[in-house]
Amino acid sequence: MSDILKGNFTPKKPVEAHKEEDLNAQFEREALKRLGGSIAFVSKKKFLFGAGHNDKDTKRDAS
Amino acid sequence: MTPPEPLQSQGDQALKGALGRRIASALEGITREKVTEAGFANAMANGPLIANGAGILGLQNTLLMDGEDALVIAAGPSVHRSDTARIIKESGFKGVIIATESAMAWCLRHGILPHLVVTLDPHPERIVRWFGDPTLTDEALAQDDYFARQDMDPKFREDQLRFNRELLGLINKFGPDIRIAVASSASPAVVGRVRESGMAVYWWNPMYDDYDIEDSLTGRIHALNGLPCVNAGGNVGSACWVFAHAVLRKRRVGLVGMDFGYYADTTYHQTQYYKEILELVGPDRLDEVFMRILNPYLGREFYTDPAYLWYRDAFVEMAQQAECKTFNCTGGGILFGPGIEWTTLPEFLSSCNT
Repeated sequence: MSDILKGNFTPKKPVEAHKEEDLNAQFEREALKRLGGSIAFVSKKKFLFGAGHNDKDTKRDAS
Repeated sequence: MTPPEPLQSQGDQALKGALGRRIASALEGITREKVTEAGFANAMANGPLIANGAGILGLQNTLLMDGEDALVIAAGPSVHRSDTARIIKESGFKGVIIATESAMAWCLRHGILPHLVVTLDPHPERIVRWFGDPTLTDEALAQDDYFARQDMDPKFREDQLRFNRELLGLINKFGPDIRIAVASSASPAVVGRVRESGMAVYWWNPMYDDYDIEDSLTGRIHALNGLPCVNAGGNVGSACWVFAHAVLRKRRVGLVGMDFGYYADTTYHQTQYYKEILELVGPDRLDEVFMRILNPYLGREFYTDPAYLWYRDAFVEMAQQAECKTFNCTGGGILFGPGIEWTTLPEFLSSCNT
């Protein structure tokens, strides 16, 4: 009996056991989002992007 | 001011709280996930106003470009633990004062009119409280006790409805004299209050991701409205500093209220993310999330949470690539490291006037 249960064929697609931790990881990620910052930070990039000629502009004010 | 030991080694040795550090290291991606949907939705809602408004490069056509000095005022607890306002006012500081929206009420209450205020957080309800929320009710306060717990401005912990009414009047009074850099991600509630109070609005986009990758979020938001994108460092205080040197081209930028940490006598309950951390790890593991850090300049320990630690690390990275000198005059907290000169507020202000 135990020999039969070992499996005697190869499935066409790899079979992955359902990971119980998937749900936990999903919960954890949602909880972590609530710990996130106010806005994004992009590491190792410049301070400004798109500050060229097409940007919106205004005239000098006097204050 | 010279630290007693090399900064990085002592700072890193003093960092504790392994779980907190792990969370902090994941926050760049997690925050992007958190803010992108709301930020883009708000940018769409703000689209008609942006199309007819001014962008932040308009600030470069104002007198704010004069001079080389700027002072950033953020809302860290250190601001309330020393005579910060008096020191600033009596210094005769001639540079540009840039305040976070969370520090704006404190500034105005103490007779300091910032030259520029910055706001960016897309949160639908909380941020408008810094401007006075015309829709605030007892029911809303019962649902969210953030302002009753926070350590940034003690006035917001008092009779909240009464203080909110006073704040509405204060902001309405000074609004016409205030320039504000509003991120396209700002909530309709904030934008409504900004307009209602008569502030002069300069729009910008927060940078969401690497603009060099194909179909980047940053490229998409820029294509949507044409506004420049600013790498805001994760929080509004850091964004103020970026505005000071990258937009207004100041060469010397002082910081006050940039603690990124809590004083030892602050309870966990008063910290920014207490409820969220409690929900995530439970009451028995809080010490694994909160991290204690020795400030070598003060010889004093502060503690921090993952978000503040991420802000601090991001700021230290940015400070090393900035073309300005950065002076942290906060007098407390955990923001020290390469590219940041630790000094006192009177020393910084005095050096600006010479």
